[in-house]
Amino acid sequence: MAAGVAAWLPFARAAAIGWMPVASAPMPLAPREKRRTQDGFIIINVSGTKFQTWRSTLERYPDTLLGSTEKDFFFNEEINEYFFDRDPDIFRHILNFYRTGKLHYPRHECISAYDEELSFFGIIPEIIGDCCYEEYKDRRRENAERIQDDADDENNKEGVMPDMTLRQSMWRAFENPHTSTLALVFYYVTGFFIAVSVIANVVETVPCRASPGMIKDLPCGERYALAFFCLDTACVMIFTVEYLLRLIAAPSRYRFVRSVMSIIDVVAIMPYYIGLVMTDNEDVSGAFVTLRVFRVFRIFKFSRHSQGLRILGYTLKSCASELGFLLFSLTMAIIIFATVMFYAEKGSTASKFTSIPAAFWYTIVTMTTLGYGDMVPKTIVGKIVGSVCSLSGVLVIALPVPVIVSNFSRIYHQNQRADKRRAQKKARLARIRVAKSGSANAYMQSKHNGLLTDSPEQASKEAGQAFLSKTNLSFEKEHHHLLHCLEKTTNHEFVDEETYEKNCMEVSSVNPPGSRCSSISSQHGLTSTCCSRRNKKTFRLPNSNMSGSHAGSLQELSTIQIRERPLISNSRSSLNAKMEDTVQRNSEHPYVTSAIISIRTPPVTSREGNNTSDSPDYSQRNIVKVSAL
Amino acid sequence: MGIQGMEILAVGVVLFMFMAVLKQFGVLEPMEDSSESDLELSTVRHQPEGLDQLQAQTKFTKKELQSLYRGFKNECPSGLVDEETFKMIYSQFFPQGDATTYAHFLFNAFDIDRTGSIRFEDFVIGLSVLLRGSVHEKLKWAFNLYDINKDGYITKEEMLAIMKSIYDMMGNYTYPSVREDTPFEHVEKFFQKMDRNQDGVVTIDEFMETCQKDENIMSSMQLFENVI
Repeated sequence: MAAGVAAWLPFARAAAIGWMPVASAPMPLAPREKRRTQDGFIIINVSGTKFQTWRSTLERYPDTLLGSTEKDFFFNEEINEYFFDRDPDIFRHILNFYRTGKLHYPRHECISAYDEELSFFGIIPEIIGDCCYEEYKDRRRENAERIQDDADDENNKEGVMPDMTLRQSMWRAFENPHTSTLALVFYYVTGFFIAVSVIANVVETVPCRASPGMIKDLPCGERYALAFFCLDTACVMIFTVEYLLRLIAAPSRYRFVRSVMSIIDVVAIMPYYIGLVMTDNEDVSGAFVTLRVFRVFRIFKFSRHSQGLRILGYTLKSCASELGFLLFSLTMAIIIFATVMFYAEKGSTASKFTSIPAAFWYTIVTMTTLGYGDMVPKTIVGKIVGSVCSLSGVLVIALPVPVIVSNFSRIYHQNQRADKRRAQKKARLARIRVAKSGSANAYMQSKHNGLLTDSPEQASKEAGQAFLSKTNLSFEKEHHHLLHCLEKTTNHEFVDEETYEKNCMEVSSVNPPGSRCSSISSQHGLTSTCCSRRNKKTFRLPNSNMSGSHAGSLQELSTIQIRERPLISNSRSSLNAKMEDTVQRNSEHPYVTSAIISIRTPPVTSREGNNTSDSPDYSQRNIVKVSAL
Repeated sequence: MGIQGMEILAVGVVLFMFMAVLKQFGVLEPMEDSSESDLELSTVRHQPEGLDQLQAQTKFTKKELQSLYRGFKNECPSGLVDEETFKMIYSQFFPQGDATTYAHFLFNAFDIDRTGSIRFEDFVIGLSVLLRGSVHEKLKWAFNLYDINKDGYITKEEMLAIMKSIYDMMGNYTYPSVREDTPFEHVEKFFQKMDRNQDGVVTIDEFMETCQKDENIMSSMQLFENVI
């Protein structure tokens, strides 16, 4: 029920007195209305901006935060106001909703911020008034697309899992040429050969100077038949290989075969094979010549290389209805005008308008304002009709075109935005990473300085003087304490990157190659590529550097996957006192994840000499030790 | 010769149809004087009488009048409620059925001087009777509601109309379901009770007398005292 109508409820109830005399049964009792105080003011303080309204205004919508008792949680007795630490600009709209019953969406506000405020105050966005609903929905859709784009991006890039099969990596290389250098090379090579093939087709038909002895010019194709044939063969070879590779690598072969691009591929190379198979039979050579036309389809293979072409394709697909309308109205107009023209010109002598279909040609040429002039009306009526025809032709064609253009523009800009976002993302992530590593290092630093030892006095004595100047915010202190508790809980400690990698280097030289470890160097979930993987990389092609950094940067944003590593005691002089603790952990390398449990039992006895006595005991303890998170 | 005439005729017909199509698309509109609509004034406004006068006329306190006016003005900024708006507002309270007919009768009951729109004064005076008036006044108001043509008599037809409109508000999904003759039967019962001299109409005195003797009706009149 609308808000304002709620104000009329007392009236409706009062008017119910009209039913009383005719009532068939006694009336129910009226609800016990607590005689609340006269409708008073209520002051809402939103980040300092004071809003005042009647109490009854807010009570119109009892299922929202402000209309229910939930707002009591925000009541501040000292100032006798309801205090919300939220954005006052957006709150203005929310309060207006209570007042007028209509929720408006301000155009200059960010859609996510607005949504958050709405959900905080318990208002469903569906009640946005009609005046603003379209705008809201559009912005929402754009936002969702953006999020979807980002998600897709991550999905694409997260595929750099080491356990991808050859087939999957091949498919990724085909679909996304930027993933590896080989894919890029392949991409350019195929592009080059498509261009060569198309140019050869074109040049084939150009008349070359006749060889001596011949009278008329031959097309180049016939003169240098062998050369062109070789070129064609080479191109088709490449295309066939490419097609077969794609077919092998496709995750769903059936779907791949049905897709448009694969059909284009097949159509592009079929004529060659058919030509090989067929002999120089006179009857079929005519058909064979026609088949050569299909070679021009090779130019469509460029659409894999050009995003603009793909956008054009999407646009045409999405404007199917407009195009259909254009076609239909044109057909209607053509038939009408052709008929009229034919009958108008029937009387004149030697008229070119021999039949209505013949007049179609004239009508089309006129409506599209081409005006070849091969068919011209001679009678006056014919000329009148012809002029009307050309005028209306302009209109009919001009009408659906802007719709198609705007569709194209929207899709194109969307794509541009996606590309721009992707480009900006790398820079943004790098900056974020720097900021995060700063805070991560803070924890390491404070540990280093022994500020978290159990004997604070000792620690402060040791490190106090030098670091008295450092302001220890209470937030940091509590946070570090929390991390310390975590360490104690899991019986593992946090280490920083370099130490871990150093450790890993040593480990991997002992471990069989192909071991996998993915390291997290800090509690924030910062990931760096695993050292062993880096080793792997140095042994093999240096092509996964990009992928590694991508994984690193992206996993940063994902949830924490905590895996524990052993502590390297020799890097910390100040923690020597905790040798007993570290002894247990040094010899084992349980790699525990929340999802994947991979048990590593590397022989590390050779590494830490002073722990040999303990290692046999603990090598059996490589049972999965799920961290007590 | 005849053929040429036919051709010209055909061409003429085609041209005519072309014009008709264009007219259909609104390109060639029959020239209308559309400038009048621009001069149409925006809605009529009405300001109520002063607060003191209203306080004298009704039994509401100043604060109550203020609160009532705020609600009224919020819904109808122009200060007047026309029948359509009234029907719409009243229908919102009865979503299952069709409240428009009853709203029509109610509108007429409030619109005392038959201006076609309810001003705030009418609204508040009506409410004053309903909420703060004596039982006698309330009964008189109800009689006025039932007496559609305001001639002082309630006929069976008038009562049937009122009854049907009330049952319309119930809608289709009721238990037990409303049959065709349910309103009629109800009217019969009413007349049996009210019509003392069995002359087929109910006068105000008969109505008053019967109602004052009925316990249920008297108690239900007090039901809505605390609405404001």
